[in-house]
Amino acid sequence: MRLQPATYFVPQAQARRRRQHLPAADSTDFPVRPDYVRSVQNLADTVTYVSRWFNAVACQATPAQAVALQRLPGVRAVVARTPIDLAPASRDDAPEPGEKEITAADRQLARRQTASLGAAAFTKAGLAGQGLRIAIFDVGFLGVDRHPAFQQLLRDKRIVATHNFVREHTSVFASGRHGTEVLSCIAGVLPDGTPLGLAPQAEFLLARTERLYRELYVEEEAWLAAVEWADRNGADIINSSLGYTNRRYFPEQMNGRTSLVARAAELAARKGILVVNAAGNDGDDDWHTIGTPADGDSVLAVGGLDPDTYLHIDFSSYGPAAGRLKPNVVAFGTVLAAAPGGGYVRTQGTSFSSPLVAGFAACVWQQNRKLSVMELFGKLQESATLYPYYDYAHGYGTPQASFFVTKVGRSVVEAAPSFDFVRQDSMLAVIIRPAASFVPAHTLPLYADSVVAVSPDNAADNVPAVGREQPLRAPDATMLVEDSSPLALTPPRYLYWHLADQRGVLRSYEVRDVTQRAVLRIPLRLLQPGDQVRVHYRGYTQSYLRP
Amino acid sequence: MRKWLLLSGLAILPLLGAPMAQAQRVLLQADVAQDTLPTSSGPNRTYFSHLYLGYAAAVGRASGPGVDLQFGRSGELQVGWRNKLRLHQALALGLDLRYARLGYYLKQNDQKTVPTATRYEREHITLSQLQGEAFVRLSAGRRGNAIGRYVDLLGWGGWVMGSSHYYLEAATATAKKRQVTERGLRYVQRWPYGVGLRLGSGRYAVTGRYRLSSTFAGAAQSRYPELPRWTVGLELGWF
Repeated sequence: MRLQPATYFVPQAQARRRRQHLPAADSTDFPVRPDYVRSVQNLADTVTYVSRWFNAVACQATPAQAVALQRLPGVRAVVARTPIDLAPASRDDAPEPGEKEITAADRQLARRQTASLGAAAFTKAGLAGQGLRIAIFDVGFLGVDRHPAFQQLLRDKRIVATHNFVREHTSVFASGRHGTEVLSCIAGVLPDGTPLGLAPQAEFLLARTERLYRELYVEEEAWLAAVEWADRNGADIINSSLGYTNRRYFPEQMNGRTSLVARAAELAARKGILVVNAAGNDGDDDWHTIGTPADGDSVLAVGGLDPDTYLHIDFSSYGPAAGRLKPNVVAFGTVLAAAPGGGYVRTQGTSFSSPLVAGFAACVWQQNRKLSVMELFGKLQESATLYPYYDYAHGYGTPQASFFVTKVGRSVVEAAPSFDFVRQDSMLAVIIRPAASFVPAHTLPLYADSVVAVSPDNAADNVPAVGREQPLRAPDATMLVEDSSPLALTPPRYLYWHLADQRGVLRSYEVRDVTQRAVLRIPLRLLQPGDQVRVHYRGYTQSYLRP
Repeated sequence: MRKWLLLSGLAILPLLGAPMAQAQRVLLQADVAQDTLPTSSGPNRTYFSHLYLGYAAAVGRASGPGVDLQFGRSGELQVGWRNKLRLHQALALGLDLRYARLGYYLKQNDQKTVPTATRYEREHITLSQLQGEAFVRLSAGRRGNAIGRYVDLLGWGGWVMGSSHYYLEAATATAKKRQVTERGLRYVQRWPYGVGLRLGSGRYAVTGRYRLSSTFAGAAQSRYPELPRWTVGLELGWF
């Protein structure tokens, strides 16, 4: 087969490959042989998709036709993909118009969702995703073409292409509120100019790959079609706030190799695209673990952080995935987002953590376009608050812009040692150093109402799957009266520790509130040879290796 | 404000089998091995059991004159516990244990002879049963830990633990309406059995059952026409 990369790919896609020293095209970009496709068309009922990447054809066929397809020359395997799982998925209610009036608490949340990633440092450095092209795969982008939050984006014509892979046309603005909210967490702007995400200057490719009311396997085919489309159209980053779990898979299949979407996402990474995916909202249900394609090794899985506590938010799915670290990083799991009706809503889900990090990644890549996708992936993890410490709830923590924009980077300026391991007979103790035990006096915020809890008590209950989250009710006046204690604007200083085996796979992990210097004692008899206890406190990480 | 996990270190369960800390607040704790334990129980795992409810209407006609049923009202209400053993993605075996209440609501007309020719204002025969049902499940399609779509081939049997004949006599000039319930009917079969078919998707299923045994026992078997053998209805899994 022959392919002219210069005509098949848009210039941005060609440039991406050149920058990362990738070939202009490889065999996975070649079209499927037309005679093969024709022979499938002749045998099957309908050909629904032809994938270059997998050299595959998706079609509708009876069992007898499937047997006949298997016999065709060039057919390596026929995999049955059930078209419909009749169990209804959770439904969206009528579109919530959102609040036109933004309260002080909402505005504060909007600021904190980007400030927690160090947005000010990017702003100061003039990084807002300029020149980056971000593809978003979602259920639809209802009202994006009219919402004031996207005025600048529309005026600059930075939504460069749209495609509805469910209906096979280009309209994506007619249904689905979720994509609107997700897009706003990268490029939305409040009326006062406060950005809701970190890359308001990026360009966007918007793809509808999900159906609203049903879970279909064909959604994965739509996802595959969208990723090939995004590659061809020059996407640098894909944000996919979607995940597939128990209807289609078992938790042990979350290994990055089983699902079609995970394999497609891995291939996207090989073509130089950073895939950022929501970890999932199943942390507090039976599924518990991350979904796919977040399970892909080269997919940056983003978990949710509770804005009140700066700890893992209950619903955020946990790792690991086949023993590998997941989620990779975390960001706020409760955000203020643009609602299709023209207003703004609080909403919860790792669906919104993911675009915050996608926007962050766009700024990093804008700053250094020479980075390959996996170098960027590594740097994003390295910049995070807990690195090199990690656990399966927070990954490496929240990425920090200061790591990239200060000349030296945090890797050079190591945090001062804040604790010591002390071996006491049969115990291993962790003692906080006196210099690190100073707890500053509480500082009053300018306005107390601006730092109220952003997550109502019941807010995390039954957060639907990624892609199907619902808006939250803002905290009402009663709640403010009942619990008016102001919250810290900066992350509290917790002590994180984990116990890992020789391969680095965690056996257990914990987060503690530090109330005394003798903070932890571990019986040595519980450590196996080669086990490692790793502790993180105030930016400092140290390990104890059991000989 | 969210109430997150705040536990005294003295009170928490030991993480690795022994107390790990003193007087510390543990905000988040995970034992990875415990969290990622392989499980054998689930909708598409080796074992799965759940409660279910069902209603199946009696359909068809009696084998001869003498009894006409009120269709819709005559039927079997079921509540049971279903156990499924998965052998393969496409094959499973199962056993249901259930309570079933089968009611035949009799039309009052001139042809009526079951159980007597007397006409009442209302009349029904009710059989309370304990039933067991074995099934072979054939599933279609790829799926994760979900029930999916399936066909069950059923074989069932039961024990009639209670039977009753209820009738409401119309008021006369000398007497008010009178309700009578006769229990322990000697003329009904105590050990019914049959076969059936179930088509399901997820928690919903359509069932059809055919009774192979007779409704009536002993001499009543030849005296009365056989009541409709088919029941067709819906089931709802509770999981």
